[in-house]
Formats: sequence, structure tokens, C-alpha cells
Amino acid sequence: MAPVRPNLRARRLRWLAACRFACALPSQAALQLRLAADALTPEQAEAARQILDDAARRLPAAWIESLDHPITVQWTGDLPEGVHGRARGDTLYLRRALLDAWIARPAGAGDEDPATRAALAAAIHELAHVHDRSPRGGLSRDPRLLDLAGWQVGPLRFGLRLSRNAFTDRSPDPYELADPAEFVAVNLEHFVLDPAYACRRPALHRYFAAHFGTTPPHPDCAPRLPYLLPDAGDGQALLLELDPARVQAVDYLLAEGNDRAMSRWGHSMLRLVVCAPGRPRGPDCRLDLQHHLVLSFRAFVDDVQVSSWRGLTGSYPSRLYVLPLQQVVDEYTRIELRGLQSIPLRLDDAEIGGLLERAARVHWSYDGDYRFITNNCAVETFKLLHDGVPRLAGAGLSSITPNGLLHRLARAGVADRTVLDDPALALREGYYFAPASAHYQAMFEVADDFLQLPTGDAMGWFELSPTDRAPWLERGDLRASAALLLLEEAALRRAQLLARDELKRLLGRNTGDGTDTTETRARLDAVLALEGLLSRPAGLLSSGYGLPQRSEREALIARAGQQARRLREQDRRLHRDARALLPRRQRDALAAIEANIAVLGSRLRRLHRESGGLDLDRLSAEPLR
Amino acid sequence: MTRLLLLCALAAFSIAPAMAGSFAGSSAGASSAGSSASSGSTSGDDKVVLQARGDAAGFVASDGRIRGAMLEAALHHLRENSPAARRASDMELARAILAQ
Repeated sequence: MAPVRPNLRARRLRWLAACRFACALPSQAALQLRLAADALTPEQAEAARQILDDAARRLPAAWIESLDHPITVQWTGDLPEGVHGRARGDTLYLRRALLDAWIARPAGAGDEDPATRAALAAAIHELAHVHDRSPRGGLSRDPRLLDLAGWQVGPLRFGLRLSRNAFTDRSPDPYELADPAEFVAVNLEHFVLDPAYACRRPALHRYFAAHFGTTPPHPDCAPRLPYLLPDAGDGQALLLELDPARVQAVDYLLAEGNDRAMSRWGHSMLRLVVCAPGRPRGPDCRLDLQHHLVLSFRAFVDDVQVSSWRGLTGSYPSRLYVLPLQQVVDEYTRIELRGLQSIPLRLDDAEIGGLLERAARVHWSYDGDYRFITNNCAVETFKLLHDGVPRLAGAGLSSITPNGLLHRLARAGVADRTVLDDPALALREGYYFAPASAHYQAMFEVADDFLQLPTGDAMGWFELSPTDRAPWLERGDLRASAALLLLEEAALRRAQLLARDELKRLLGRNTGDGTDTTETRARLDAVLALEGLLSRPAGLLSSGYGLPQRSEREALIARAGQQARRLREQDRRLHRDARALLPRRQRDALAAIEANIAVLGSRLRRLHRESGGLDLDRLSAEPLR
Repeated sequence: MTRLLLLCALAAFSIAPAMAGSFAGSSAGASSAGSSASSGSTSGDDKVVLQARGDAAGFVASDGRIRGAMLEAALHHLRENSPAARRASDMELARAILAQ
């Protein structure tokens, strides 16, 4: 391509001394840059020399050593709009306007000055390309770099990588996504020039530092890894700052399949066993359930109906959600009636740290497309493990189903399925969460033994109308009442699911049966829009790149809190409106079941009080030893 | 091919909590239903106990045979924080949790 023109009257400049002393280089290392100054004024030539000096002084020794042949630097006015430089063979072309901006800087301009930054970045960017192409470079072909950068392995491509880099959010410069070589050059600019790079892209920073053999001073990063919990309970969004050293273990969390179409193959997640504040890290953290978190890739569906076509063609965004474990357990075991297996992964502390750091990068930057087959939850979870734990990249884990991934993790000796060997112990220690339906019949039998209920089994009991069940609810002893409470809560969820289906039908775009749902539909759209906003945390921030640092986190707390409050309010109204839309029969049934549950609640409290049972309020009022 | 289309959890129902969580009983609604304590006003500590209410009901109803991790966590929590709880049996504590 662009031929190297003969350097007529080229002043051959070598800046060996400056470089050697400034960087304490081994004496043989020297950057040999030849400035093609034919078309430059003396002032421009001086600026060019300053820029190249300054840039070279900042490069790690190993980088300089890799550039062991003369490189010609040509400042040109011929580069296309927006292009600051090009590297062709042994010649760098840099935009001549950068020189004039450099000359026009105010006296004493520091690194923050835009002209300083632009000129240095352009020079370093092109020198990065030269390094990358040198025998000691090869960064943009290194599989590990491609993992970190976001050209991820594909599940069906025999190890081939995806051509698109979906880590588009919170990028320092979208040009990095053009191809791996540009990614390396852009990131090396920041690695060299930006003290915050180590905080914002810690894994890439470590990778480059290891590549060059440098040990940079530890910068003052905002502590811990930030994640946004879209719903931390009670409708509050929360910026969670997680210290990986507080994570005792990571489990593969598998929601078992059921016979509904969308969930037949189960769902892949990761569970973080986070220790309660103040508890020493250790096996006891297993039961700090209220602090455990779940990393779950989900398609964000912005409508009440899921379209298979959109799922297949990838038009739902795939996002990494961080959710409280309790919420996930409730959702699967009580609402969807699916069991959850929580299988510990054998990872060491450094691997857990790397995985969580990777999860944070995915959480803040990844905006992939959910695809039923090639980019579903199992594939996303596989990629997270693959990219976050280098050891697992070679373990042959690729699978497109959640069970398949678990099977491969177990085969590779990473997942320890023996925790399920003793079912009672697994249940007690939280390696298995049974679906609520597992106990319906047992609960029915307990109540039936005491009360001789009028139906033969649990299903029959659910089929009774809530008002027909009501008289029985005031007659049980403590055990029977406890069993009836669980059954009544199950009945409520069944009724709620039916209501949901009815509402989906009513609120679907084209029902055309005359019901006026416009207002509720608008409210639903508002709720979905707010949820969409909270599901893409990068969208809540307008400044910075990579992991949010201190001031960005403060802004985020304010912004996310505000959105979460709005969401809660809209959601509350939506519930009220939606309930009013339901057919009268369904509304009455819901109200009757809720009344039944209240009756059982007070009956349990009364029976407990009358039997002289423990009072938890008094327990907690007792002074601690 | 049709079967392949049905792959793993577009988890659709849990994605749009407006329709799933809420109308199908949100987490708070599901676990604290029938409880006198409102989930909105509880501290993190009380939450451990509230979340265990379903497990406590199963434990009490089954006379101790069904014993879930949420209950186990609440028992640990209560005993860590109260000497009286350490003296109480699992069943006594489970009944107390159920009577919340």
C-alpha cells in the first residue's frame, strides 16, 4: 500500500539518550525514529520531535526493544477526516494538524491538555500497531487478548470466534471495536497515557503489564467491584460494591427444566456465596443466604409476549443481571415451580476474583443479542466462565444447553455434583432448592389427617373455590394450619398466573374485544421502559469508560435510585389498574384467597401464643452476652 | 428443529417482572403473605426470618422432615444473635418464625 517516499533532505534524528535515561532502558534498547521533515516548518519539526520524544519516554522497555529497526515518521495532511495516524510497514503517518495544535498549546499544558493528549495518543497508537506486528508483539492474535477484548468464542463454530464485539457500552473509544488490532492500539494508548486504565479495565491492564513485564504503581482505584441490582427488594435499585475476597465460593446454579416451552432445557446461572459482613470467610458463609447473589443472563423482553421469531433472530438484548439469591429462589421454586441445583465449582481465590471482575466488565459493557440456540443463557454462562477463568478456556466446556454445560463442568472436575448425593442434606444446606409443588401432596395429607378434607388430593383441594376452602381453614391445629397455609399460598400463585395470562391477552397489542386498556397499556409500557433502563446500567451514566469510578458511582446511586422509585410507583399503579381490568370472577377469587391467607396467618399466631410458644420479638430484645 | 427452538429459558417470565413477579406474586409477596410484618419496614435481619416463613411452615407441618436452607439460615441467624434462641429447639424456633 502507501509507498514509503524517499526522504528528500530528511533530517535523520535519533533520540537515544533521552529515552535511555528517562525509561532506564537496557543500554542496547533504543527507539530509532526518522523524522521525514521535508514538508515541515522548523517549528513543526521541533514539535514533532517533542511529541515523539514524549511518547517514546512513556513506553515500556519491552515495547521499545521490539521496535528494533528504524521507523520513518511522516506528518501528513492527506489522512482522511477523523484519522489521526496510520502505520504502513516501517512508516508512520501522523496528521500534521496535530503539530499545529501542539504548538498552539498554552504554556505549561499538562497531560490533560486535549492537544497534548491527541498528539501523544496518535503516536502511541501507531507505535502500538508496529509493536503488535513485530515478532515480540502478536497481541491481537493472542486468544487471551481476544477473550478479554470481547471477540468471544462461539459455541457452534468449533472454536471460531464471533466476528462482532458486543462490548459496546462504556467504551473509551468505539474505534476499538473495529477489529482486534485496533482494539490493541486503542487500549495501549490508554494503558500508557491514562492512570485510571488500571481501575477501569483491570484485567486488560494486568494483561498488558504482564506482556511488557512492567509493574506499574498501584493507582488509587475506587474499591471493590460495582454492580447495579435492578431490584434489591422493596423496589430499591442498589449499587452493590462487592469485594471478591468476601466471596467464599461460586456455584453453578441450574434451574431445572419444566414442560413449558421456554424453560424445557432449564436455565444456567452462577451463584456467589457471599459472606455476611463481619463473618470470617469460611464454610459458614454457605448459610448467609440473604447476602448471596446470582449472576443471570436474561433476554430483556420489552413486551408482554415473547416472540419466538425475535428470540431466534436475536432482537432481544442479552443482559447480565445481578440479583439477590432469595429473589431467584422465590421466582423459580414458588412461582415457576422449578427446582434449583446449586453445584459448587472448584475455583481458587484468584480465579474467583478474575471471574467476578469479568462479570463486572460484562455487566457494564456487554450488550449482546439473545438467541435461542447460539446465544442463550448456557452459552453466555459458558463464555463468562471461559473468559473469566483462563484455566477453563481449555476445558472443553462449550455447550448450548444448561444441563450440557453442567455435565461438562462435572466431567472436567470443576463442578462437584456429590453435594446432591444426600437429598435431605442438600436441601438443608442449600445445594438444592425444591420446587414448592414437591410438597403439595404431603401438605395436603397432613391437613387431611387432622381435618378429613372433602377432596381426595391436593389438586382437588386447589380446584375447590376459595370460599369453599375457607371454613376448613379455621379448624386445624398448628401443623394442619401450617400445611394449609402453604397450600393456600400455592393457590394464590396459581390464581395469579391465571390472572397474568388473562392480562397478557387483554394488554396484547391487538385484542380488539372492546375492552379499553389504553391507559393500562401505557402504564405497562412505562414500567417496561424503566425496567429496560435499569437492566442496562451503562445507560444510567454518561461519563467515563469501563468500571465506574468514585464520582460516577455517586452519580449512579442518585440516578438509579430515582429511576427505581419511579418504577416502584408506576408498578404499584399498574397493579391497581391491571387488577381492575380482570374479569370480576378472577378478581373475587384473588381477594378470597388473600383473605384465606390472612385468616390462616392470624390463626397460626393465635395457636402459637396460646401454646406459650417463643416470641421472636422478645428474643431479639434480650441483651446479647 | 422445533425442539431446538424451545431451548433454555428465554426466562421470559422472570425478565419482565411487571408481568411475572408482580402478577404471579413477587418475591416479597410470596414469602410474607399472611405475615403480620410488612416487608417494606423490615431490616435486613428480620428479612432472614421472614424469608424463612415458608420453610418454617413446611418444617412444622411435616414435623421436622422437610427442612429447607432458608429455615436453616434463619435458625443460625437467630442463634448467633440470641442466647435464648440457642437454648430453644429447632421446632420451637420454627414455630416462632411461622407465627411472625
